[in-house]
Amino acid sequence: MFVEYVWLTVLIPLLCFVIVGALGTRIRHGGGLITVAGAACSFIIALLASYEFFTSSDYSEVGYVTESLEWFTVGFGSTSFTISIGYYLDSLSCLIMMFASFISTLIFVYSLGYMGDQGIKKRRYFAEVALFLTGMIGCVTASNMVQMFIFWEIMGLCSYLLIGFWGFGHPEAKQKASAAKKAFLVTRAGDVCLMGGMFVLFFEMGSLDYVTIFNGANLAAADPEMLALASLLIFGGAIGKSAQFPLLDWLPDAMAGPTTVSALIHAATMVKAGVYIVARCFPLFCMNSEVMLFVAIIGGVTAFFTATMAMNNFNIKKVLAYSTLSQLGYMFLALGAGGYLFALGIEEGSEELMAAGALGYTAATLHMANHAFFKACLFLGSGSVIHSTGTEDMRLMGGLGRKMPITSITMLIATLSIAGFPFFAGFWSKDLVLDVAMDAFKDAADPTCYVFILLWFLGVVTAFMTAFYMFRLWFMTFSGKARENAEHCHGESPRSMALPLVVLSVFALAFGFVLLIGYDGIFTIELVAGNWIVGGQAGEPGFHWIEHLFTNPYTYLTIVLVLVSISLAYLMYSRGSVNPGKFNKDGQSLLYRVIANRWYLPEIYDQTSWKLGYGVAKCVDYFDRNIIDGSVNGLANAVIGGGDAVSKAQDGNVHTYSAVVILGIVLLFAVAAALVIFYGVIA
Amino acid sequence: MIPMEYFLTFGAILFAIGAFGVMTKKNTVIILMCIELMLNAANINFIAFSAFLGDAMGQVMVIMTISVAAAEVAVGIAIVLNAYKMRKTTDADDLTTMRW
Repeated sequence: MFVEYVWLTVLIPLLCFVIVGALGTRIRHGGGLITVAGAACSFIIALLASYEFFTSSDYSEVGYVTESLEWFTVGFGSTSFTISIGYYLDSLSCLIMMFASFISTLIFVYSLGYMGDQGIKKRRYFAEVALFLTGMIGCVTASNMVQMFIFWEIMGLCSYLLIGFWGFGHPEAKQKASAAKKAFLVTRAGDVCLMGGMFVLFFEMGSLDYVTIFNGANLAAADPEMLALASLLIFGGAIGKSAQFPLLDWLPDAMAGPTTVSALIHAATMVKAGVYIVARCFPLFCMNSEVMLFVAIIGGVTAFFTATMAMNNFNIKKVLAYSTLSQLGYMFLALGAGGYLFALGIEEGSEELMAAGALGYTAATLHMANHAFFKACLFLGSGSVIHSTGTEDMRLMGGLGRKMPITSITMLIATLSIAGFPFFAGFWSKDLVLDVAMDAFKDAADPTCYVFILLWFLGVVTAFMTAFYMFRLWFMTFSGKARENAEHCHGESPRSMALPLVVLSVFALAFGFVLLIGYDGIFTIELVAGNWIVGGQAGEPGFHWIEHLFTNPYTYLTIVLVLVSISLAYLMYSRGSVNPGKFNKDGQSLLYRVIANRWYLPEIYDQTSWKLGYGVAKCVDYFDRNIIDGSVNGLANAVIGGGDAVSKAQDGNVHTYSAVVILGIVLLFAVAAALVIFYGVIA
Repeated sequence: MIPMEYFLTFGAILFAIGAFGVMTKKNTVIILMCIELMLNAANINFIAFSAFLGDAMGQVMVIMTISVAAAEVAVGIAIVLNAYKMRKTTDADDLTTMRW
């Protein structure tokens, strides 16, 4: 009874956007309360619909429920195709819909305090975030790729608008506006790929409805090479949206927006859409193990490289931004490794490999949800710190733990969670991700499986680095002695900002336990009699995951590494007994400088786009100026010159004219006479 | 009866003299007179053919030509007169401003 109304979750934020956008200046708080209420309604409907979906036996058989209206039809008869508009609900969309609307609600509540001093700009802010939420929920509940793509682009637009929120009337407006442009253009590169993928898929399958394109029989009948091409192109869209290597550079710059926007982009919306699309297209990607291998490589490499970039950054928000990239890399690693096993399982017809592969899907979705909670908490906490100290530079903070107890404790919980400290949410999912990568190496009987031992190693090193830089952040901000800006800190933030932090920290602490109450049964993927079913099994509560993880030696390895890096961070940044400058020659070592310059990625982008773009532009310019303009101008010049030369014959002298006339007559007669004489023609 | 060729030859000679005059004479008044000569050469041909063929049409054309020629001379002399007023000359070689 609620599932049918799931479209309201999209429509209510959209209505908020319209109302706040049109009337915001006449409402108190710039319409903030309306947006909060809208997001809360959206969350409640999502919760009810999901509850019904998970508990009702009507849906567990097929694993999804969908309903569509015909939007438009192109063509006639058998060659026509219809684009419909509707909803498609399965475990995956339920999960994202719930956490996106829940976290958005909390972020909007927080925004009431955080953006409270923005005056008339609040209308714009609250209208745009409402649209952002519309985009995300619309993206995950769409029933076909076209509809998904529309909401996907709405999110792209909102990210541009919100990252550039301070793009005018602000001391650093120019830099903020250029960050917004960068975010828009870089994700656009991915979106073009995604669109290409949709074209290929449409060409091959003749439809873009999820029900049709993820049908096992249809997938098996299609040309595998075209499917691989479509998967790679769709993954290109995910790379752009989720800021994976090599399109990762926009996300750190996107910190130019308000901190709440960063929280929204990183935790609830936008970057999760990239993971969503890969998880959604899992059946498609599983048609080719090499595509999944590629996904895993991109994920693992991104996780590692972005974690290194976070190691020596002093901007509190940038560190969090890199950690997001790194955690997204984990999700793609899990999806890639799981899909790789699944694909091999399909090739060999092995049930065990498929089950092992489904674990990757479970790990990725769980990590996505966990990451949403702890990253929202971290961003809102850092927003609270920035709000009260007035700086983003961690070197100017320190010792804030006493002045801001709530922020400090909630952020500690989230930090422990992202670091993968045992029994915190991040621990479960991160170890599952690494577990899947290890499985992909151990179980797959394929020469390419050796890549996974490398990716696993990168993942473990990343876990070590994550714990280190996150605790570096926490210690530099909250412990030690107060530095410059921390001395005149305003104290704890208002209640509207503290409450969301507390709620989020509870989830960051405890959300991992869903694994013990049957999460893996609901959020898994299986191939039953040629049909893909997401979460077909009834969730069985059980503690087998504890057994699974704690009989695994690698779990202890990561726990030890996490503890070592936490103590290392403590010694370096809290007690100060180890000088970090010793390891990097006081910031002069080559590695330090390379990392501080983001592995020179921005330079590489700039240089390639400059050299390449400018080179192409120059060629085009040459062609335009010399070939196109040249031919036009040449023709005109020939006409002018010819006219000039011929006009000289008109010298104004009547004698010349009369001579020419008579000469003409004589010639005519001569011709006529010649015709008569030689051909006997009488003119 | 005088043969046809005589008339035609006479007309041709008259035309040639007129054409020669138009091309060589400097004075515009003389050029106009030469044009009259050429017209009259054509008139002679018309008359000759009219008489030999017994058709009145040629004579009609001659009267037509004479009246057109009268109008043409009036316009021509007026132009020459104005040109003389403006430039103090009737020399065709000096009246060459109407050009590129």
